[in-house]
Amino acid sequence: MSDIRLEGVSKRYGPVAAADDVDLAVAQGEFVTILGPSGSGKTTLLSLIAGLNRPTAGRIFIGGRDVTDAPAQERNIGLVFQSYALFPHMTVLENVLFPLGVRKIGGAVARSQALDALKLVRLEGLEDRRPSQLSGGQQQRVALARAIVFKPDILLLDEPLGALDRKLREELQVELKQLQRTLGVTTILVTHDQEEALSLSDRIMVLDKGRTQQVAAPAEAYLKPANRFVAEFLGIANFVGLEDGRTGLVRPERVRIGAIGTAAKTARVVEAIYLGQMVRYHLALENGAAGAPMVAAVPFVGRAFATGERVAVSWEAADIWPV
Amino acid sequence: MTGGSPWSRRALAAVGVFGLVFLTVPLLIVVPMSFSSARALTFPPPGFSLRWYAAFFGDPRWMDAMWTSAALASLSSIAALVLGSLAAYGLRRGSFAGRDWAEGNFMAPLIVPTIIAAIALYLGLAKVGLLGSFIGLVVAHTVLNVPLVMMVMGVAIREFDLRIEQVAWSLGASWSYTVAKVVLPNLAPSVFAAWIFAFIGSFDEVIVTSFIAGRYETVPKRMFNELVLEVNPTITAVATLLIGLTVLALAAVTVILGRAGKLRPTLA
Repeated sequence: MSDIRLEGVSKRYGPVAAADDVDLAVAQGEFVTILGPSGSGKTTLLSLIAGLNRPTAGRIFIGGRDVTDAPAQERNIGLVFQSYALFPHMTVLENVLFPLGVRKIGGAVARSQALDALKLVRLEGLEDRRPSQLSGGQQQRVALARAIVFKPDILLLDEPLGALDRKLREELQVELKQLQRTLGVTTILVTHDQEEALSLSDRIMVLDKGRTQQVAAPAEAYLKPANRFVAEFLGIANFVGLEDGRTGLVRPERVRIGAIGTAAKTARVVEAIYLGQMVRYHLALENGAAGAPMVAAVPFVGRAFATGERVAVSWEAADIWPV
Repeated sequence: MTGGSPWSRRALAAVGVFGLVFLTVPLLIVVPMSFSSARALTFPPPGFSLRWYAAFFGDPRWMDAMWTSAALASLSSIAALVLGSLAAYGLRRGSFAGRDWAEGNFMAPLIVPTIIAAIALYLGLAKVGLLGSFIGLVVAHTVLNVPLVMMVMGVAIREFDLRIEQVAWSLGASWSYTVAKVVLPNLAPSVFAAWIFAFIGSFDEVIVTSFIAGRYETVPKRMFNELVLEVNPTITAVATLLIGLTVLALAAVTVILGRAGKLRPTLA
């Protein structure tokens, strides 16, 4: 278990900066997600931390040790890819034994460690299968077991759940979080999925065009984004004009709607989308910035407003965050 | 092939079959002729006999040529396999200045006319005093077969997920350990196919060999020389054996690569 520190890390490919002067400090045992759209440089950043790539500038420290120029072999990291990257010619057990074999751990000791790791990812009884005989979710569990069996200093996850369907993804999210907490291993996850980032992480680093946009706890990044990009990337964002001329953010679930006459602002329902627990209304404001779109998400109780209906719209001043 | 009218598909099939027949019939005519009882090359053969096979296996000069060919093909194909595979790995996985130039250089023996390669090797080997030596032959055949190995291994390495190697490194495995324990076991079918191509490539080679072999005689070189001097039906027996060897080797390649395809991991 170690902390990770990036100091002014850049990676340039000619004139293009895939990572541009990035600073990040991940505390021991912390779970940090690097979140960004494709092409934001998040995978580049991960490969720099993993040692698969060298930065053009800056230093990388793992457990206080400067590993900037150390190859991947010397960093003691567990790495999990979206594509699982299991060794196809080995059984499940052989895959998990691989890092132990490299470390000259063999025999019964290695076997019991490997079986423990497989137990942690709930994959008992499949030791002798080959990767091609497993489902996607099972393959990813093997990859996870292989990445933790040798007690790595840090765990790096590159879109580990990206290839799985939604239900399985949500299941594995919970397991991943529990596993990380049990092991207490410092973890960096890379994803473009904001829900995954919000639900798994202690802190989120939002990245765009190779530059850090914000590093914050999920709730803070969601409700108090550092800029418009973060506001829009982390979820649906309503922007409203403030009295001092600035723009404020109101999240959909902070917007209240009611029968006409209960608030000063009115809007017309453009679309009402039923989501089970919630109804999401796409609205067009009528006064103030006439026609401006706004999204409200309200718990579904009793009657929902219909498309074309006029409603009263309001929000608390405390729910506005200037961006 | 999908789409197209039934008629055009039938026409395509006809053209394909005709092409295949056109290419293989001249080869296959040799086979019955090799079992002929006649003293001269005649078709159809008047009777069945194994006399030309007996003539081949009973002639120490043919047997010498056979051993020379076998030893030469074995050594040069293994050398080409090692060097070509390493080159393919470096070219596919590396990113360095002059990579395209290097690849072109390695592939050149396959692209330039063989006679040019023969003259170049003649002059080159003469310069280092290896002309007419067995080592010179091995070197020449290695150079000629490296492109074949590179083509087969290049495709295999490109198709092998780099991230599997990266994971192995991250787990602490050195580059050589990763190649030995992860890359090679998965590419074994391609390695075997590449080796067969290189072996056959060397076994069939005649032009360059004629230039540089000196007193050494390989099977194809001896066939060529025999044909120049006199038309001896023993040639048909040799040809049939060579065709048989090639067909078996290519069948082996097909089976092995086909099996490997089925074992590929899938992204479920």
